[in-house]
Amino acid sequence: MPSLAVSPPFPQMKHARNSDARRSDLIGETELATSSQDSSASTAEKGQNGSANGAAHDSNGHEPPAASNGSARKRRATAESMAASQRDISVSEFFAKNRHLLGFDNPRKALLTTIKEAVDNSLDACEEGGILPEVWVHVEQTSPNRFKVGIQDNGPGILKAQIPNIFGKLLYGSKFHRLRMSRGQQGIGISAAGMYGVLTTGKPVKIISKVSPRKPAHYYEIQIDTKKNRPEILNGKGEGVDIPPGESGRKVIEKHEIEWIELDHGTRVTIELEARYQRGRGSVDEYLEQTAIANPHVTLHYVDPEGNETLYERSTTDLPPEPKEIKPHPYGVELGRLMTMLKDTKASTLSQFLTTSFSRVSPGVARKICETAKLSVRASTTKIGRHEADSLFQAIQQTKIGSPATDCLVPIGEELLLKGLHKVVPGEFYVAATRPPAVYRGNPFVIEAALAYGGVSTAQKISLEALTEVLSESDARSLRQFLISTFNGMGSEGAEKILKEADLGQRMSPGKLKPPEIAKLHTAMRSVSLEDGQTMNVMRFANRVPLQFQPGACAITQTIAGTNWRAYGLTQSRGALPNGPVTIMVHMASVWVPFTSESKEAVASYPEIQKELRLALQAVGRKLSMYLRRRLRVKQEGERRNVFLRYLGEVATAVSSINQSDRDKLYERLVNVAKRKTAEADVKLDKSGNKILEDEEEDFGDNVLIVKQPDLDAGLPSPS
Amino acid sequence: MAKKRTTGNAEKGEKKSTPVSARDKQTLTRLHDLADTVVTTAERSRDPFVDIPARALSNVRFNKSKRFIEMGGNTNRRQLFNLSQAKAYMQTMLVASGCKTLIDQQKSTSIRGLFYLLKHTIEGAKEETFATQDECDPIIEDVEVMLNSLREELHLYAKKAGDMVGPIVLVDRGDEIDCSRMGSGGYGVPSIVEPDVIQFKKCDAKFILHVEKDTVWQRFNEDRFWRKHNCILTHGSGQPPRGVRRMLYRLHNELKLPVYCLLDNDPWGYYIYSVVKQGSINLAFESKRMAIPDAKYLGLRSKDFERCQLSNSVKIQLNDTDAKRAKQIADYPWFADKKAWQKEIELMLSNGFKLEVESLISKDISYVTEEYVPARLRDQDWLD
Repeated sequence: MPSLAVSPPFPQMKHARNSDARRSDLIGETELATSSQDSSASTAEKGQNGSANGAAHDSNGHEPPAASNGSARKRRATAESMAASQRDISVSEFFAKNRHLLGFDNPRKALLTTIKEAVDNSLDACEEGGILPEVWVHVEQTSPNRFKVGIQDNGPGILKAQIPNIFGKLLYGSKFHRLRMSRGQQGIGISAAGMYGVLTTGKPVKIISKVSPRKPAHYYEIQIDTKKNRPEILNGKGEGVDIPPGESGRKVIEKHEIEWIELDHGTRVTIELEARYQRGRGSVDEYLEQTAIANPHVTLHYVDPEGNETLYERSTTDLPPEPKEIKPHPYGVELGRLMTMLKDTKASTLSQFLTTSFSRVSPGVARKICETAKLSVRASTTKIGRHEADSLFQAIQQTKIGSPATDCLVPIGEELLLKGLHKVVPGEFYVAATRPPAVYRGNPFVIEAALAYGGVSTAQKISLEALTEVLSESDARSLRQFLISTFNGMGSEGAEKILKEADLGQRMSPGKLKPPEIAKLHTAMRSVSLEDGQTMNVMRFANRVPLQFQPGACAITQTIAGTNWRAYGLTQSRGALPNGPVTIMVHMASVWVPFTSESKEAVASYPEIQKELRLALQAVGRKLSMYLRRRLRVKQEGERRNVFLRYLGEVATAVSSINQSDRDKLYERLVNVAKRKTAEADVKLDKSGNKILEDEEEDFGDNVLIVKQPDLDAGLPSPS
Repeated sequence: MAKKRTTGNAEKGEKKSTPVSARDKQTLTRLHDLADTVVTTAERSRDPFVDIPARALSNVRFNKSKRFIEMGGNTNRRQLFNLSQAKAYMQTMLVASGCKTLIDQQKSTSIRGLFYLLKHTIEGAKEETFATQDECDPIIEDVEVMLNSLREELHLYAKKAGDMVGPIVLVDRGDEIDCSRMGSGGYGVPSIVEPDVIQFKKCDAKFILHVEKDTVWQRFNEDRFWRKHNCILTHGSGQPPRGVRRMLYRLHNELKLPVYCLLDNDPWGYYIYSVVKQGSINLAFESKRMAIPDAKYLGLRSKDFERCQLSNSVKIQLNDTDAKRAKQIADYPWFADKKAWQKEIELMLSNGFKLEVESLISKDISYVTEEYVPARLRDQDWLD
């Protein structure tokens, strides 16, 4: 596929980026209209057409806006003077200005986005190369608000000639032009991170890549020329340098302050940028943890700014099967795209074009389309004009075409979802469900959901030292806000409970707490049961990449909140996330995940996606309610026994005081009756449901994991 | 619990020294039998239960020949091994053991005292045996009906609420009391007025006037009505407690004094009359020793507003619950076939207001004692 022009004018960029660009048009709109996501998809079509018209208008020539106004009043600018300031905008210039679109809104997020883009690229490269991924992430603070980030993988490496373009040019990559499930999609991420680094610190991006043990590693220092969207190589007179093997090479690497780990092949990218490191929600730590959940075949080494090393070891050595690349499905192609494809195609006839460019179009289907469009099957593709293309487009919509092949998708799978979730989230019950593939706008996708119930919340696990540290780092304005934003699953109710227990003001500043107050807060956090006030912890993934921001704008969160969890035994206020010690992870795998923005933070709400999400959530919800019902019954049985046992002592004492019978003997007899009675009741309950205990356990199916918890029944009070 | 047992042993030792009356012996036997059934059912590993006669409208019968309410044969089973009844069962046994302790020690206590005697935290739980006295009182009544023992036989008494004055001399626990020399306060009727406690020595009274509450009673006492009309004057602070009802019963039956009631003209007043006359639904098992089928209802009457030409300002509007209660009372079998009563209740409902005895004060402070009651007695104008 042809790469982009060196400095494409803005409208052209839009055109090339197609469906993608229209999403960036919509960012503002989507955020405003989060509640009516369904309609925003159709608004998107209009927006697209509108901007296409605008582009056409522009290319026809610039008409001065006030030309039609015949009055003699003095004009502020003439068409000529305005034309002087009208010029091309480069993609990189555009994104340098609008860096929030790419996830660089603030220093904290910039750090995360940089690491995220690099890790995603590394994992994609390893998997494509058929290598079990091993990734090293190193974050180091160089000055109060500067961090050096190094990410290395054991991937196949990058050819010398490609390195500058990949890291020094926006919208360059292999992933955009094909329909294939991968983490990266646009080819913006890593180069944008490099650009941000250069912009904020002036330090170039440093890349070392090695493709084979027999060849030397290359070393490049690159910075992006934002005006021209072109890489500038700073070292080796614009050629980069080869690093000699052995000791001398190591010295060169050290001199450049790079922590290269000796491998046969792999790539390490080092970026220094203005950033802020903070733990808690939306942090680098969280991202890596969630990445480990969704990628059980990956080993992650992480060194945080304090020098602590964390290792997430892979729990499976099976590399996920390689996703297949597919051709676009006719239903997913807009008119503009269709016209471009017609122009670019090598096919000579219309029938040939349709069968070779699209999936699921047989010669028969192609004939049908052409008939409906009143065009000849043998019409030359070069002669298809705007009008013909339009009727062809209409004909495609009217013709019945089979769903796209879905074997191009590689879901994580129920077993690995359970494994991954269990490894990271403590709980007593786990369930996973992978939906069969479905299609939106011609793009196949799969929704998976896994749910963990129970376990201790992060707020109860944290150590006093860690709490002190997190408190000092927090930029939250009040303690209440601090608690809610730092700990997963902590709702406002839970935070208020804790603060009340600790006898601390809700509005106190987290940074100003004295050690005894921190200790008080710590004990309160441990003692207060958050089970009731806890809200569901939602982990969202798209093509195995964690989505950490904009939960409100995301179809996943919206569908979770829109599902009636009360039916599954959780409490929930209308339109909100359910409460309870629940963690849910939802994964959408697709050849093209429809994000609401370039920073890939939220999935757009297509009705087809919402439907699959709902079905997946219901599948795990049903299993959860089965478990909760059983749990409740066991608890009730225990309680029932306890009620009897509690009163038996009193009854025995009272009776023996009346007739001087042996109190202890009577008590013992009564306890025996109680045991027999409750055992009978248990059996009855099972029979009424036509189930005996063993059967019911099997009933859960094989996508469920139950961790044995200490017995819920309090032991029998000893007959004193 | 071990501690409790040792106090139980101490009681045993004490018991030997105090003589026990035949009545107490009977009660003790009943308590013993109750405890023994628990032991034997436990030995047979069955679940223990007690059957308690139902105290509800559905389980009372109006005995037309005896003219009072009797308890039916329905019982409610209370099981130890039933989640909703386990606690009540435990409480029943506790009350029984408490009564046994009282009899052993030859002491009596108020029902509130028994509540405190039995209230403690259940071992191994954060729960109290009885949370409030409201939880305890119905259990005590359960034990009464279950053992077929009277409250005083269980050595319990209720709060005393009722006074008496008049030309009668009685002996209360050996003390001679002249009820015509009680000053302004009157003789407080104790809750236990059985013949072994109270004996009548001398009585010149010709009838009994029972008024609803203390304030009206004060009016009659201050005006020395009882002296002028040679009667005994009693009140029961609203719904009369058992002591007052039992006292009225004994005065009526032993001294052959007719009983006249002066109550408010509202459903509440009607029901007080009904309780005095036929017995209460809740304590139907005591009707035979408390109900006075010959008691008469002197007033106030629904027609009194017109008859006595009372001012509009003394009317109290009937509310919905009043109207509902009035209809309920009209439907009671013991009112159902009395035409005069049906007319009386109908009139009150059509009036739409009720009248308190005190409303007569609007005519004159002593109108009730000097004109109203004497006129009714003279004309024998009452409801039966």
